[in-house]
Amino acid sequence: MTELAQAVVNGLQMGFLYALVAVGLTIIWGLMEMINFAHGEFLMLGMFGAWWLSDSVGLDPLLAIVPIAVVMYAFGVLVYRHLMRRVQGGDPFTQIFATIGLLFLLQNAVVAGFTSDFRFVNDSLLVRLSGTRLSLFGITFGVPLLLAAGLALVLFLALYLLIERTEFGLALQATSEDRDAARLVGIRPQRMFAVAWGLGAALVAVAGAILVNFFSVYPQVGLQFTVLAYAVVALGGFGSLLGTLLAALLVGVIQSVTVIYLPPAFKDAFVFASYLLIGLFRPQGLFGRF
Amino acid sequence: MRAGRIALVIGALAAIVYPIPLQIQGTTYYQTVGFLVLINAMLGVGWNVIGGWAGQFDFGPQVFFAVGAYTAALLYVKLGVDAWLGLLAAVAVAAVMCAVLTYPLTRLRGHYFAIATVAIWMIAQPIGATWEYIGGSQGLFLPVKPPAGVVAEALSLQFSGPTKSMGYYYAALVLFAVTLALMALVERSKLGYYFRAIRDDQEAAEGIGIDSRLYKVIARSITAAVFAAAGVLYAFWALSVFPEQVLDLHWSTLPIMATVVGGIGRLWGPVLGAVILIPIAQIMSTTLGTGPLAGRGIDLIVYGLIIILIAAFRPTGLLSLPWARWLRLRRPATA
Repeated sequence: MTELAQAVVNGLQMGFLYALVAVGLTIIWGLMEMINFAHGEFLMLGMFGAWWLSDSVGLDPLLAIVPIAVVMYAFGVLVYRHLMRRVQGGDPFTQIFATIGLLFLLQNAVVAGFTSDFRFVNDSLLVRLSGTRLSLFGITFGVPLLLAAGLALVLFLALYLLIERTEFGLALQATSEDRDAARLVGIRPQRMFAVAWGLGAALVAVAGAILVNFFSVYPQVGLQFTVLAYAVVALGGFGSLLGTLLAALLVGVIQSVTVIYLPPAFKDAFVFASYLLIGLFRPQGLFGRF
Repeated sequence: MRAGRIALVIGALAAIVYPIPLQIQGTTYYQTVGFLVLINAMLGVGWNVIGGWAGQFDFGPQVFFAVGAYTAALLYVKLGVDAWLGLLAAVAVAAVMCAVLTYPLTRLRGHYFAIATVAIWMIAQPIGATWEYIGGSQGLFLPVKPPAGVVAEALSLQFSGPTKSMGYYYAALVLFAVTLALMALVERSKLGYYFRAIRDDQEAAEGIGIDSRLYKVIARSITAAVFAAAGVLYAFWALSVFPEQVLDLHWSTLPIMATVVGGIGRLWGPVLGAVILIPIAQIMSTTLGTGPLAGRGIDLIVYGLIIILIAAFRPTGLLSLPWARWLRLRRPATA
């Protein structure tokens, strides 16, 4: 029983990190209805950036979040302006392939620059705390994961307030619902799309900078997170931020509970099996608005 | 389309003659490159049915490549069934399995369908890696029993010795040609028109009585059958089947990229795409050799750039360029 409770608690903590990984996709795919198969590559760039800053300048990944967010925001805007805007009006499959091309390009540009070796952050606040634990009602919390989950939750809530409570967020939602009507009230849709891509890239890269404390980084690390993020966004329901959070928590719990009963290889299989099951009975996702 | 027919004859002759000078020279490596081009072209032609004609994005067809490879390998290893019978069985198993798995998925549309096909692939991987009967992550090894004589080799799909690469090249060429001919029939049949009607306007297609779910299942099962056949050929070529190899993502990404580069929804699109894309990786690995950039994914960077350029500037693919006009313009100049 405590084993199960412990697994659920661990899964929930991972879930907050997954929420931050997936929420950029909720904005780009769910809200703005553009596809991005290079989502995991943005994450990989964030992880690599954090590793590189830690390795070369000794900057802690948690502090590296700031420069990484700024650089990746600019990168996301560039990707939209120079690539995605061009394919936006065409067949949806052109978006798929433009971003698959981007996936290959980014992943292998990093292979060319850094090789496919696995790399680890050796010296950071969270790594140094890795032995420390808190105990509560017989359940142990690893301090690093708890801190990371808390940070992810804070960032997620900040984004939630930005989208749901500010004029800018309303403009973004208006563009997502009716581009022409948005234009009539003075919103520039192109700008909104560029901002959405910037935000999406920055958020997932920040998630990468947090994850680098727990996972090794290598150029191909993105794909597993891309497929997971797609499952989370589809499970949560298109464009629903709270849906994304709840679905990410569910995915985290499914993963950690699966590992108690089955070989670890099945950890993602059950996430996808639940996607299929839920998709068949509730195609709009658990919390979809549409 | 007389120009098209001339191109077809020249292409077919080139494909048939291609391995012979290489055999004489002794550079059989390039026969293997040809083998890989043909397999990927065949897979692309198969993927075109669900992706190009029926317009459903299937990112998990490699599951049926694996199903085919495993079915024939199991029949061969456990029951001694020979390769070509195994191929027929593999095609049937993959088509039926695909129909059963895909029917429920057809409730999902667009991106949701695409993710569902990935989901099935994600579920297939741990099953393949842990199922003891099919050898788990070690997989199955196909013992070689090289028969005597070219005819016996061809009948058992087990080529060996100095003509091994050439044998598999021609086996791939035969399977590729059969696939292409069958898909040409499908394209012009009622089936082909139903697929494209569903792609262009699902509601309108249903309005005139086309059962869209049924025809999506048929389209994906045809794709699965082609992938299974290629999987069998690959298994006998590699003499082994294991999950990481036959469930590798590149069994879907390369054929799909070839289809898009050549021209999605066009019968010959994937063929042109495979001829352009597949040798890039091989040429890169020979020209970079052991230099500083060897093994640094340069070939995949080139793939990425090509796909981005096609998506951004010519999403209908290279075959859709006005070749006929260009060729006609040039003719007076050369004459």
